[in-house]
Amino acid sequence: MTRVLEVSQVHKYFGGVRAVQGVSLAVQEGNVIGLIGPNGSGKSTLLNLIAGVMKPTKGRISLDGQRIDGWPAHRIVEQGIAKTHQIPKPFLAMTCRENVAVAAMFGSNKQKDQSEALETAGRVLTLVGLEGKADSISSNLTVQERKRLEFARVLGTGARILLLDEIFAGLSPEELRDAIGMFTQVQKEVGFGALVVEHVMRAVLTVSGHVVVIEEGTKIADGSPREVVENPAVIEAYLGAEAVHAPT
Amino acid sequence: MNLRSILSVGPTLWGIGIFLVILGGSAPWIPGFLLTLVTGLLIWATLAYSLNLITGLVGYVSFGHVVFMAFGGYALAFGVGALNLHPVVGVALGAAVGLALALGIGLVTLRFRGVYFAIATLVIAVAALYIVLDIEELGDGKGIILNPAVEPLSVFYTILVTLAIEVGVTYAITHGRIGYGIRSIKGDEDAANTLGINAARIKLFVYALSGLFAGAAGGVYAWNVSGAFPYSSFSLTFSLQMLAMIVIGGMGTLLGPLIGTVAVYLPSQVFLTIPLLSGLQFTVIGLVVIIIALFVPGGIVGTLRKYIPEFRGMLE
Repeated sequence: MTRVLEVSQVHKYFGGVRAVQGVSLAVQEGNVIGLIGPNGSGKSTLLNLIAGVMKPTKGRISLDGQRIDGWPAHRIVEQGIAKTHQIPKPFLAMTCRENVAVAAMFGSNKQKDQSEALETAGRVLTLVGLEGKADSISSNLTVQERKRLEFARVLGTGARILLLDEIFAGLSPEELRDAIGMFTQVQKEVGFGALVVEHVMRAVLTVSGHVVVIEEGTKIADGSPREVVENPAVIEAYLGAEAVHAPT
Repeated sequence: MNLRSILSVGPTLWGIGIFLVILGGSAPWIPGFLLTLVTGLLIWATLAYSLNLITGLVGYVSFGHVVFMAFGGYALAFGVGALNLHPVVGVALGAAVGLALALGIGLVTLRFRGVYFAIATLVIAVAALYIVLDIEELGDGKGIILNPAVEPLSVFYTILVTLAIEVGVTYAITHGRIGYGIRSIKGDEDAANTLGINAARIKLFVYALSGLFAGAAGGVYAWNVSGAFPYSSFSLTFSLQMLAMIVIGGMGTLLGPLIGTVAVYLPSQVFLTIPLLSGLQFTVIGLVVIIIALFVPGGIVGTLRKYIPEFRGMLE
């Protein structure tokens, strides 16, 4: 059965600040959805709401028809939805293999057997190209490697819907090309669905089949990558009103 | 657990086990004053391992651990004095009280992190004294004095067995799946939650175990001194001494609390016997803790593991 994450009319207020105002979207297993928008538009907040890090003020989030909004984070992971952290949060005292093994032991796979979990971790690290670092302590990793480890951990949970928060940020053009190649390859192999929050346009337009644009907590556009970049509302949100009417 | 997994528990657990067995076997021939000293050492080791569970393993620094010890002591004094229980049953009662208290306190305080948790536990420890002072059944502020017919060997064996169980429990929860969960929480609690770890439940579980053993140790302590007295039972120097022991020995390690107890307890006893130095032991302990925290954060065991590669596989 293909699993579907549905977000409908979700709101999140922080006191008077309306971070997310009635956003709806859906992610199906196997599809990659890009989520873009200017700084502070509520993208990361939306991911946190889905992942159970925060509770929505209003609205409904469901997985395969079952409501999951307001559930604690660990239960949402058990259901098969896992999120990376914008700033990687590896367990610094552990090796990369152990980091991913934790995900395999406690995620939706719940591999109780330690040696099996460590094996799974080895396979996942190979998928993301970190096999050479499997037994390095994660505090020794570079920023780029830490981003990959974040990705490896969500894969390790066995999640079918991944919420990826800027996993392509801060990379050099070459590293970005490699990362996009790796991501596309792994996505094809594992077949997960993903909601990808990204500032790097090149990355998000390449990896996603469908893009959702939000501004100030509201959805302003929705469509294929090409449709979205040509949408006047999107151009206005990113570049200002003059850009829409400027002669090209 | 099969025989092979019992045999493969590693040199540290073997070492501590053999040490405790030798101690237990030779106890009947140990002269009285020395037995008192060793019993005191074992009580403190039990307290240090107890604090090590929540502070060393999970990373939640508790300044109020004396609460569990004190109420464990009062539980024994009340059980033996008012209910005529056997002291060993009194120790079990102390453990049960420690467990129940930790569940209750933990449910509220474990929501706080870092320094806020430390402050919350400290406040509870201070408040607890004033609550006990007003309870008529617990001596109405004057404490409970027991009939001092204490059999030193019974006290000794009770604390020896308690400590042995506690070290075994520490080993068990640092290995296997739950051990990974605990290490993850210490590493980054938010990341742990988003990988499927029910951090709240694991923290409460470890804190409850911690309260249980501190309660038992407090019970043995009260038995050993024949009573429970408010101002000395709730003394914050107890909390700080436990903390000093695990910081000096090596927080979060299996051997560290024992080494730390020996390193703190024995010199303190020497200080106490020399009139000129008596009372200065806390100054010295304080200085040593500051130096360790600043320059050798791993404590004795952590530092040995870091600089001597041969020890890395052996010492836990």
